[in-house]
Amino acid sequence: MIRRVVSIAVVVITALLLQSTVFFRLQLLGVRPELLYLVTISFALLEGPNEGATVGFAGGLAQDFLMNQPKGLTALTLTLLGYGVGMFRQFIVSPSPLVPTIVVGLGTAAGVAFYEIVSVLLGNFHEEAAYGVKVALLTAAYNAVLTPILYPLLRRITEGSRPRRVVRF
Amino acid sequence: MVTHSRPRGTRLLVVALVSLSLVIITLDYREGDTGPLAEAGRWTQTTMAPLQRSVSTVTRPVGDFFSGLAHLPSLQRENTDLRGQVANLQAQIAGLADVEERARTLADLLGLQQQLFPTGVSATVIANGVSNFEWSVTIDKGSDAGIAEGQPVVAGSAATPRLVGIVSQVTPISATIELLIDQNFAVAGRLSSNLGTGLVQGQGEQDPRMDGISQDAQIDLSGERPVQVFTVSYEINGQHGRYPPGILIGEVSSVIQSTNALEKAVTVRPAVDFSSLEYVLVLGTDASQEGGGG
Repeated sequence: MIRRVVSIAVVVITALLLQSTVFFRLQLLGVRPELLYLVTISFALLEGPNEGATVGFAGGLAQDFLMNQPKGLTALTLTLLGYGVGMFRQFIVSPSPLVPTIVVGLGTAAGVAFYEIVSVLLGNFHEEAAYGVKVALLTAAYNAVLTPILYPLLRRITEGSRPRRVVRF
Repeated sequence: MVTHSRPRGTRLLVVALVSLSLVIITLDYREGDTGPLAEAGRWTQTTMAPLQRSVSTVTRPVGDFFSGLAHLPSLQRENTDLRGQVANLQAQIAGLADVEERARTLADLLGLQQQLFPTGVSATVIANGVSNFEWSVTIDKGSDAGIAEGQPVVAGSAATPRLVGIVSQVTPISATIELLIDQNFAVAGRLSSNLGTGLVQGQGEQDPRMDGISQDAQIDLSGERPVQVFTVSYEINGQHGRYPPGILIGEVSSVIQSTNALEKAVTVRPAVDFSSLEYVLVLGTDASQEGGGG
């Protein structure tokens, strides 16, 4: 259990570090990827809604604390995203390796759009709608591109940190 | 019975986490910058700053390399333009007999201007905002170096200081700077050639907008000299503005005809390239009464 928590914490901190340093210089048409969205969706796909919601909440709250935006908003978004994707995975029957890429792309677009809508309702989003659409679509595309690289890595981490099965004779 | 327990447990967990998120959002709105959530934010920033500095130092060359690849076509074009400009300038310099004397005078002036901000703290940018909806950077100096919230931040040379933004959050070892392009940023500005004053506000992805300019102001963008925007000093009830006068904010990029018949607005292209910002100077609060360049 402790190993599991430490693994998730390391993944979340690494994602935040990369997003605030390396990926600022690797923008796609002025937009950065949202690595915590990718991490949350991947955990939800691999482990289900419980893990997805928990990782989403913890990662979202960590990101909120590093931003000068309303705290709790990213946590709310990623909790719902993790739960939604985790519930959705029971309907996925295709073994295609493209499935995670497609789900990450669609999930990121939906999550970013949800974040923008709630920001508008809270009076904290002053950009034009066109910018909101652009960010949602480009972030989704960027995350989808990164998924084939990061998803196998996250799968190894989750499998490696699972509690060992005890066999009694 | 057993088959229903897991979904019910999951639903309970999600309801609890969503409720907790809503409580945090509400508390954050009520408490602002003084409550335990803001303190937790400062603690997180303090913890992350050394890691961000290390990662930034290690990965900056890699990031610059890939960033350079992405901007290769525009860099090649820029390189060609700059080569032409250098050739012209070299021809001009060769024809000037008194260049040495002028250089000495300019160096003296530069030294004099460096005296204008004696309390400034130089710092290195170690990280950028984590979101696509926030325009900020983190620097490697904080309250231990004398930096406080609300202090203006500049970049560039002492001769032409350029406005970067304002310190929005401080920890002992790091500080967050709200960039002038952030949606929450606003500064009083003055157009060059005495064309008037107005309020410059960040617009995020787009160029900042300057409102409140007199309709009579004749802003000609087709001339040889660009119309520049500088910070302006003001005093209300004995309180000075935060920004020293004369710091370059940017150049006017377009004129917007406002629906208000009494005033017009312009967009301002920032003088600082925020995508490659590395070093900044944080000015002391007493600098608001001193003069900058321009």
